[in-house]
Amino acid sequence: MAGGPDGERDDDALHARLASLSRSLDAGKSSPDQPDVTSTGEDSTLASAIGLGFRVLTEFVAGIAVGALIGWALDRWLRTSPLLLILFLGLGTAAGFWNVYKIATKPTGSRSA
Amino acid sequence: MAAGEGINPISQFEVRDIVPIHFGNLNLSYTNSALFMTVVFLLSAGLMLLGTANHALVPGRLQSAAEMTYEFTANMVRQTAGREAMRFFPFVFAIFMFVLFSNILGLIPYTFAITAQIVVTACLAILVNGLVVVYGIRRHGLSWFRLFWPSSVNIALRPVISLIEIISFLSRPISLSVRLFANMLAGHITLQVFGAFVAGLAAAGIFAVLAPLPFVMTIILSAFELLVAFLQAYVFAILTCVYLNDAIHPGH
Repeated sequence: MAGGPDGERDDDALHARLASLSRSLDAGKSSPDQPDVTSTGEDSTLASAIGLGFRVLTEFVAGIAVGALIGWALDRWLRTSPLLLILFLGLGTAAGFWNVYKIATKPTGSRSA
Repeated sequence: MAAGEGINPISQFEVRDIVPIHFGNLNLSYTNSALFMTVVFLLSAGLMLLGTANHALVPGRLQSAAEMTYEFTANMVRQTAGREAMRFFPFVFAIFMFVLFSNILGLIPYTFAITAQIVVTACLAILVNGLVVVYGIRRHGLSWFRLFWPSSVNIALRPVISLIEIISFLSRPISLSVRLFANMLAGHITLQVFGAFVAGLAAAGIFAVLAPLPFVMTIILSAFELLVAFLQAYVFAILTCVYLNDAIHPGH
């Protein structure tokens, strides 16, 4: 279903995106609003730091919580009481760390510095 | 002021019926929550409609506010999810405006904070993630599920990583909804508790001299809550874009 025409459309879209990206990069290099970013820097870095902190916290906790929930539900369903809870708690913790890792490696949002 | 009882920091989140409507067992009453959702809708729609009513070349206050929110959101969508994601711009914009207006409206005394209700934020988060799944499958077919099957990982580790990816994906609606809900809830409770300190100290004889201290704190917290209100709306919207990016480009 996702064969030929969709793939071609994807490629075209990707090329368009790359072109627009390089154009906006070029524009960014010489744009006069660059100093503006640094002048309002203090406020926006504090704000984005708070936002990032809450993101890391909630994504980490949510990973563990979802893992525990899945393990608990599967345990109830399969009557294997503590086994799957322990297993999925571990996997959930890994997922929590994975969430945090993804945030740390791919800073989305404001321009990555 | 009632010093001992009367100030309960939770009672502000109580959903009350304004117009009771009951169909059998269904409770479809028009509540204070629904009332403020209507107000949020009217305010945000009013801002955009009035702001774009006369297309002045040099924009007035309303027009520049409307244009700024548009540009801000459009840039956010383009930067995080690519130009192609602009087809979801109306969706992201609606979510951003709804969350932003309800966050800020909730800060005004005697209003009701809609986004401090976990039901509301959970519905928004499920809507976002449901859209990601539905659009991802519609667009890429079953190959969208390769999002959970990272080809760059050693084949021996892949089942474990895949499980972790699935748990990580399932945790998204929870973190998205709980973050917004918890921020608004905690902020409103803190504000009310410090407000109660002012009232309590003012009624406590000689200790009334201390009453300005929590009052100053309330002012500082109000400013901080304004920052949090905007920030959480921004984070909610930008994560919506990030998740939509997964639906459009699952390879990344």
